[in-house]
Amino acid sequence: MVTSLIRRTFQALIVLFAMTAIVFVGVNVIGNPVDILINPDANAAEKARVIAHFGLDKPLWEQYLRFLGGIVQGDFGTSFVYNKPALGLILERMPATLELAFTALFIALAVGLPLGLYAGLYPNRVSSKVIMSGSILGFSLPTFWVGLMLVLVFSVELGWLPSNGRGDTVELFGVRWSFLTGDGLRHLLLPAFNLALFKTSLVLRLTRAGVQEVLPQEYVKFARAKGLTERRVIFVHVLKNLMIPVITIVGLEFGSLIAFSVVTESIFAWPGMGKLIIDSINLLDRPVIVAYLMMMVVLFVVLNFVIEICYTLLDPRVRLNARD
Amino acid sequence: MPITITRRTLNRTALALLLSTAIPAAAIADDGDQKLAIGMSTTFTTLDPHEASSAPNNAASRHIFDSLINRGGAAENQPQLATEWKVLDPTHWQFTLREGVKFHDGTAFDAEDVIASLLRARDLPSQSFASYTRNITNVTAPDPFTVVVETSVPDPMILNSLSRIRIISADHAKDGVAEFDDGSAAVGTGPFKFVSYAPGDRLVVERNDDYFAGAADWSDVTLRMIPDDGARLAALLSGDLDLIETLPAEGMERVESSKDYKAIWGQSTRLVFLGMDVSKDQSPFVKAKDGSELDKNPLKDERVRRAMLMAMNRPAIVDRVMQKNGTVADQYVAEGYFGHSDDVKRVDYDPEGAKALLAEAGYPDGFKLTLHGPAGRYVKDSEVLQAIGQMLARIGIDASVEVMPWSMYSDAYSEGQFSVFFASWGVNTGEVSNPAIATVATRNDEKGTGRYNGGGINDTEIDALLDQATSTLEEAEREPLLKQVSDLTFNKLWILPLHYENVVLGARAGIDYTPRGDKYTLAYDVKNAAK
Repeated sequence: MVTSLIRRTFQALIVLFAMTAIVFVGVNVIGNPVDILINPDANAAEKARVIAHFGLDKPLWEQYLRFLGGIVQGDFGTSFVYNKPALGLILERMPATLELAFTALFIALAVGLPLGLYAGLYPNRVSSKVIMSGSILGFSLPTFWVGLMLVLVFSVELGWLPSNGRGDTVELFGVRWSFLTGDGLRHLLLPAFNLALFKTSLVLRLTRAGVQEVLPQEYVKFARAKGLTERRVIFVHVLKNLMIPVITIVGLEFGSLIAFSVVTESIFAWPGMGKLIIDSINLLDRPVIVAYLMMMVVLFVVLNFVIEICYTLLDPRVRLNARD
Repeated sequence: MPITITRRTLNRTALALLLSTAIPAAAIADDGDQKLAIGMSTTFTTLDPHEASSAPNNAASRHIFDSLINRGGAAENQPQLATEWKVLDPTHWQFTLREGVKFHDGTAFDAEDVIASLLRARDLPSQSFASYTRNITNVTAPDPFTVVVETSVPDPMILNSLSRIRIISADHAKDGVAEFDDGSAAVGTGPFKFVSYAPGDRLVVERNDDYFAGAADWSDVTLRMIPDDGARLAALLSGDLDLIETLPAEGMERVESSKDYKAIWGQSTRLVFLGMDVSKDQSPFVKAKDGSELDKNPLKDERVRRAMLMAMNRPAIVDRVMQKNGTVADQYVAEGYFGHSDDVKRVDYDPEGAKALLAEAGYPDGFKLTLHGPAGRYVKDSEVLQAIGQMLARIGIDASVEVMPWSMYSDAYSEGQFSVFFASWGVNTGEVSNPAIATVATRNDEKGTGRYNGGGINDTEIDALLDQATSTLEEAEREPLLKQVSDLTFNKLWILPLHYENVVLGARAGIDYTPRGDKYTLAYDVKNAAK
């Protein structure tokens, strides 16, 4: 376990390092941030001062080395636009995104698993067929359209739920959360549901396929022959075995929930990281773009590791260092 | 027939009643108190009023801070923290300060705060206000309520510049972005006091009851940043917001057809125009119809430029393509602004005349060119350019359209890499010298003129007039000079004027607001009809 952790950390560092180089060169090709940020009335001398202030007068390799030097000291650079540390800006908005992603994940599992199980156990019932057809809609309707429809129906026409924003927040562990207040929950519901829709369908279909694959297996027949209750057969023997693909997909999808919740965040004006990265790309705020992408690399590496730990818990045959 | 009421029908009726009353109930609740929520279409990035000069930042800072000069909606200079001013000599201006004004923390305002603010804006490393502070060499205070601003050269635009610089408390002059954003330094003399700020999301302020110009109509104001058009519109229709910037054209019908909402229109000072390469002998994107090089650059011929403008049905463009989000323009500034000239002749839509003029200039069969423009930077920019391309085709000019993201376009067009290009200038000074120096004066890096003169215009007569106008302090002497600049630019058609962008806001009934030329949305100017 420990060696595996060390090895993974080392791998992650290499990926991160490669990422810095790719991203750094990439953002330098898109365009010049000074042209976007500067007041159009500025003259040549004033422009030169701004360029020097951002450190953009140095050659690219020198900027890159400086940036690497900063990272070693935990400094990811200062945002051109906000004039604040880029990492701080991202962390400031992270709770909002995490909260949204976790709620969406919770909805996806709480709805997707039972329905998938039901549809897998009783595939011939009409209700199962309705569930399965419904799930097709779930992953084929585009998120932005569903989001707008949700707003139109529940906020504009019915007036039940607020159309956007985060609502009241309370502070816990030094971070502001909205899921702890009634108003915050009301704000959270629509965007979380919108974000969860696709994942719910995915979990549902994976679960159903898993159930149908596991049910005819020998050990299930054996368990039944042993006289175990149907409940124990389903919830221990079937469910545990079909969880492995579900966890893999859910884990990776959770990463994309966080990294790419941009669409939902813009429609519901949710003040998370997705909105920040889009603004930063439009304004060519290089330090924020680079810091954000690096955070995402770390996130995916960590998620992958967590997923693999989950495997060992679910399936005794899997060992973390089995592939050494 | 007897009516039996079952529990089910009762429940159903109750639900129906609830549904039918849900929306009006929410609207009435908003009227009862004096809370205002505004949806902004752009994002402001800091509350430090001297850190980064951009329209959203400068608009947001006006809620909390004042300036010496108040810039009115039509770009007029009015007293704010300065009650009067006079020119002592060409490089010294004296301002008399308003007495009895207090900052939000209760401390008194005086000359020390003015000196600290002007110098801070000038000296911050970000240099974002440099174009306003570059001529300020010194600020002194002969007494606590008099300030003298010394400039390096005679600067007729100093009042405009000072109207951009917010006055902060001298106690906070050493604070940085962090202190302003967490509110500890966001202490001004303005109409609202800081309550909370979530970057990228919202700014919440409350009424300053002691505001010298009279308390605002609203006890609490929330400025929400919602760049997504659909989300902003939905928030207005669901009653979460009272007023939204940039009402999307798609929502116009819905808003106008409802008695609960209205659209508010105004004309901005942003001029959109087509620039032309008038300097190169062979322009890179102008070719003969068979693709071969032309022996000379047709855009240098005034008749060709005029024919191109005559080919454009500009009223139809603003009406249809822009869905009334624009007003046809003929020169830098509209009537009533400083330097507008009545002698500029409007060029009317006349495709037959255009063809004749083109033939007279030696191009009876037209030629081929590429129109370049940005995508998503200005109101319906690429759509307008497409329409222009088709209109030019009708007089025999084969025009293809190429649009690109602003981050790639901005450099290329200002450096003059294109033949015909879509450009724009927000005339926030409300007078002609500022746009003319940037877009039509001959390029001169030392003097800082012609930085956006992407067509290579070189008109010595205009240059001489501008030189004279920028060193003349007397308004009465300046005005005829600038009028002549307008005449020369637009009667020779150095650039082809298209339109001014309109300001279109959406509001719930009961809100009154007069849009400003600079597109700022200021809560203090929003009136509560219910009050």
